[in-house]
Amino acid sequence: MAAKWIETLTGSLEQKKQYKQITARLKALPEPYGTAAQAVKRYLLYAGGVFDGDIMMQMFSDFADLWEQAAADGTPVRGIVGDDPVEFAEAFAQAYGGKHWIDKERARLNQSIDDAERGEKK
Amino acid sequence: MGKQQTEMLKGILEGIVLAILARRPAYGYEITASLRDRGFTDTAEGTVYAILVRIEQKGLVDVEKVPSEKGPPRKVYTVNAAGTTSLDEFWQGWTFLADRVAQLRDDHARHTTDADTTDTHTTQEN
Repeated sequence: MAAKWIETLTGSLEQKKQYKQITARLKALPEPYGTAAQAVKRYLLYAGGVFDGDIMMQMFSDFADLWEQAAADGTPVRGIVGDDPVEFAEAFAQAYGGKHWIDKERARLNQSIDDAERGEKK
Repeated sequence: MGKQQTEMLKGILEGIVLAILARRPAYGYEITASLRDRGFTDTAEGTVYAILVRIEQKGLVDVEKVPSEKGPPRKVYTVNAAGTTSLDEFWQGWTFLADRVAQLRDDHARHTTDADTTDTHTTQEN
């Protein structure tokens, strides 16, 4: 489902290949890392708001690094995501700033307030 | 660490991570360990990782990948010139805030002790 969505989103074959590789890396993670990584990845796809294909690939590639590292070091899952997994996922997505769905709306809000302010000055 | 402290820390963690890195280049897990040694015991490794990703995206650090015996190559982070500038700004901001917040606290302390001396029979619980 998410994979289908991503295909409509990212045109390039190269990106599709990268995404497949990343998916495979996450699938190869030992438990409980696989389950945890899958859960956070799902949230990132739905709520991360990153829509630039290249940046998304960069994000998921770093994401796979993080979990492979955790599995290699035996870091507890909690040690990675902390007390608040949602908070963690959002901070993680935020790090890849500048290309989010919401950016257009943010720009629009700023513009509208600027327009309103200009009305005040007349 | 309480919820309030966690919230407060969020705004300054990037500066703290830069300050730790300014001492010497380090791997991600070394930074988390250093934070824990300094009493930031609740900091999740993933949170630190997200900050490292962010400062890398902002171009505040230089990153070198070093092959590792286990797991993927590990990244060594070094603060560069832009990072040093950003850290200087962080210290300025921190000093500004800390001074004013301390001022408020002192005012509050004075106010409550004044209340102690004027209001007999009221018990102040701090």
